[in-house]
Amino acid sequence: MMSDGGIEDEEKWLAEGIAGLQHNAFYMHRALDSNNLRDALKYSAQMLSELRTSRLSPHKYYELYMRAFDELRKLEMFFKEETKRGCSVIDLYELVQHAGNILPRLYLLCTVGSVYIRSKEAPAKDVLKDLVEMCRGIQHPVRGLFLRSYLSQVSRDKLPDIGSEYEGDADTVMDAVEFVLQNFTEMNKLWVRMQHQGPVREKEKREKERSELRDLVGKNLHVLSQIEGVDLDLYRDTVLPRVLEQVVNCKDEIAQYYLMDCIIQVFPDEYHLQTLETLLGACPQLQPIVDIKTVLSQLMDRLSNYAASSAEVLPEFLQVEAFAKLSNAIGKVIEAQVDMPAFGSIGLYVSLLTFTLRVHPDRLDYVDQVLGACVKKLSGKAKLEDSKGTKQIVALLSAPLEKYNDIGIALKLSNYPRVMDHLDSATNKVMAVVIIQSIMKNNTCISTADKVEALFELIKGLIKDLDGAPADELDEEDFKEEQNSVARLIHMLHNDDPEEMLKIICIVRKHILSGGPKRLAFTVPPLIFSALKLVRRLQGQDGDLDGEEMSATPKKIFQLLHQTIEALLSVPAPELALRLYLQCAEAANDCDIEPVAYEFFTQAFILYEEEVADSKAQVTAIHLIIGTLQRMNVFGVENRDTLTHKATGYSAKLLKKPDQCRAVYACSHLFWVDDQDGIKDGERVLLCLKRALRIANAAQQMANVTRGSNGPVTLFVEILNKYLYFFEKGNAQVTTAAIQGLVELITTEMQSDAKTQDPSADAFFSSTLRYIQFQKQKGGAMGEKYEPIKV
Amino acid sequence: MASRRRMLLKVIILGDSGVGKTSLMNQYVNRKFSNQYKATIGADFLTKEVQFEDRLFTLQIWDTAGQERFQSLGVAFYRGADCCVLVYDVNVAKSFENLNNWREEFLIQASPSDPENFPFVVLGNKVDVDGGNSRVVSEKKAKAWCASKGNIPYFETSAKEGFNVEAAFQCIAKNALKNEPEEEMYLPDTIDVADGGGRQQRSTGCEC
Repeated sequence: MMSDGGIEDEEKWLAEGIAGLQHNAFYMHRALDSNNLRDALKYSAQMLSELRTSRLSPHKYYELYMRAFDELRKLEMFFKEETKRGCSVIDLYELVQHAGNILPRLYLLCTVGSVYIRSKEAPAKDVLKDLVEMCRGIQHPVRGLFLRSYLSQVSRDKLPDIGSEYEGDADTVMDAVEFVLQNFTEMNKLWVRMQHQGPVREKEKREKERSELRDLVGKNLHVLSQIEGVDLDLYRDTVLPRVLEQVVNCKDEIAQYYLMDCIIQVFPDEYHLQTLETLLGACPQLQPIVDIKTVLSQLMDRLSNYAASSAEVLPEFLQVEAFAKLSNAIGKVIEAQVDMPAFGSIGLYVSLLTFTLRVHPDRLDYVDQVLGACVKKLSGKAKLEDSKGTKQIVALLSAPLEKYNDIGIALKLSNYPRVMDHLDSATNKVMAVVIIQSIMKNNTCISTADKVEALFELIKGLIKDLDGAPADELDEEDFKEEQNSVARLIHMLHNDDPEEMLKIICIVRKHILSGGPKRLAFTVPPLIFSALKLVRRLQGQDGDLDGEEMSATPKKIFQLLHQTIEALLSVPAPELALRLYLQCAEAANDCDIEPVAYEFFTQAFILYEEEVADSKAQVTAIHLIIGTLQRMNVFGVENRDTLTHKATGYSAKLLKKPDQCRAVYACSHLFWVDDQDGIKDGERVLLCLKRALRIANAAQQMANVTRGSNGPVTLFVEILNKYLYFFEKGNAQVTTAAIQGLVELITTEMQSDAKTQDPSADAFFSSTLRYIQFQKQKGGAMGEKYEPIKV
Repeated sequence: MASRRRMLLKVIILGDSGVGKTSLMNQYVNRKFSNQYKATIGADFLTKEVQFEDRLFTLQIWDTAGQERFQSLGVAFYRGADCCVLVYDVNVAKSFENLNNWREEFLIQASPSDPENFPFVVLGNKVDVDGGNSRVVSEKKAKAWCASKGNIPYFETSAKEGFNVEAAFQCIAKNALKNEPEEEMYLPDTIDVADGGGRQQRSTGCEC
């Protein structure tokens, strides 16, 4: 073992080692150049003595080893030349054994051995056997491992493999395999023994050193995998059992974990598939603390990739019943390793699921089985709190969505929601968002009430506050994002059959109404519009036909809408509710159901009176009301009068004069609907316009008093435009004289009040005048009509 | 001595896991190919004799583990390399993007005396796959990268079909030969010459 000492000491020792090595290499080169075999052997042995050090860590030792290795290549070439010059390789083989120290002697022996095999003066297997036996002379782990690794490297291209020039009657691929297996076994023993040498307090350091050395051992498995003669039969009957025997019997967890990983990585997929039972059978025999889950996950990941590589290999998987074997092995491992953390066992299920989805995409029962096994493992435990575990569950639940791109498949899996139940509320929400994103991305339409019910059960973490969820310290932005995604989802629920669609709407309504005031503002509007879409589809039908209890009629839906919007009052969200009432009123109008339309308007007006207090909100609301009411044609004279009366009343009572003025002239449209049989009450239109003018005047005067200047004339220009509109539409009450008067009024105002120039008002007025000019010049009926107006 | 040194050319093959480093080496040295994926552990080399300008050289081709976890002992074997071959899979964008990392890692670890002019060769492997339909890195893009790194020679290869492998390694050998050897000149100091055996007393440990 390396003695205590800092990194500096180690650097010093390495430098000394290199210096000694270079020194002797220099004389070795001189000997080589002068064909002096005796000196060449002497100095090369001295050079190799540097490798006898015990003071270097494996990393540093490797540096020294590589330098010696490079020098030995030159010596090897020299040996080759020597044999060409007539020196017997057998004599050389004897000669090098005179080196004083055993380590240099064995390095030299391996070097000559390589030339010996190449000379074919003896069967390769005999030389190899001799070398692998002789190397037993070094029992120091680090030195022994490097020496054997040297042997492995120089013999690499001289194994009697199939098709190799060293294959012959006496040499078969079995000899090659035997040689590598023996070297592997000896190396593993050296490597494992390190663990038990030296004081206990240096355990950590020792494990680090062992970890650095591991590839020297693992490389033997790589060599085995590169031997062409190792076909499936040889692998199954000899190589794998022998390697596993060594792995299991060494009873060392570091070696077991690493070598299992190596076996999985260096041998081809087909071999694993055909020997699954043997390989999996070794797992429960490993030391209990070996991280088998990672080993198995790597195996399954490899096999999954193999399955994905080509459809042609899939029958192989079926033939060997890979799923059953893997599933069984995982069960055994989880059962055996009681202390395995949750993320470990779930990680195993994730790998198995990935495997299943790639190999058996058509077997939903397998998928459900994996989820079921996971539920079983999780059941009886509190909700998962550790982040690694929840991450794994999200991966587990996301996998089927990514594979099938269809939430419908996930909804068929009975264990899917049961796995979700084991998530904490935050992760549950994350998963719900993943589900919704999958639906949006794939544009999946969810078309039956049952599926919708199941879906809302899955995403309930977003729909309502779950029991036991911690008091919300939720980020406002996150919450909005989540609720917006629910809103988007509602638009993805659709069925062409009105009955089924109504059922869907009722289910969604049931769920979202349980969401509490914070969510309703996000979730009610999409539901309302979804229901209104259904109403539009039913529009042609008679609204009064209310026969069967469950049948989807506009009337029934309107009732539902009414009750749903009402829920917004508890939020409170009066402005939103008002908008939705108006939307419903318009739909009711189109369905020709006057009482319903009237009722919606009534509700909107009540909200306006009682709940909308902010003056800006009032302005917005009143224009919405006027706009909607204008398009209504379902009302009889009386109802219409009541509503228009109210609307004009509200308009005149707005706080700011300009707002009043604009609302009032907008009301003029309530008395003139430009349809064939629309109402055309020219007188009341004029009343509205005159009233607007009065308010504009008042506004002007008020500005004069408070600011010492007249306000902008924009309001007058706007009213002038209304005059022009009704003039053109043939309202006889609107005369050219009135228009002429207004034009002159504005012109005077503008001239008198040069200091409060408002360029936008000027531009507005001049383009209005240009329009009049244009109409005049156009000729025809319209030109004639405009003729009397002078601008 | 110098002539002996120059008979051996050391080549290191680097690249991501699964790009075909082992397959390229096997195809070149043994003219064999296997479709099966087998990971490489540690570093492993094969040699091949090459004739070049009427001289015979031994090409020592080091195949390396693409997976980091199978490179536990580090990269001391980079030392003394004469040429570094960077391999990527033309069907895997990431393996191309990583070439830069492999190149820089090599220059740091091997620290050649003249990193600007150290010979690299880039191979875009697996051009045979799916008749070229699954290809994601264009020849133009690869060549542009090679040009930007000091005109690295570039070859498109298929280890499976043996396409361009021979030509690529010819170029690799030629460039390796052009690389100036950088053996530290070792001059023994006189005291040590007089007392050659004295050093061995430093050695500790057992008598093996």
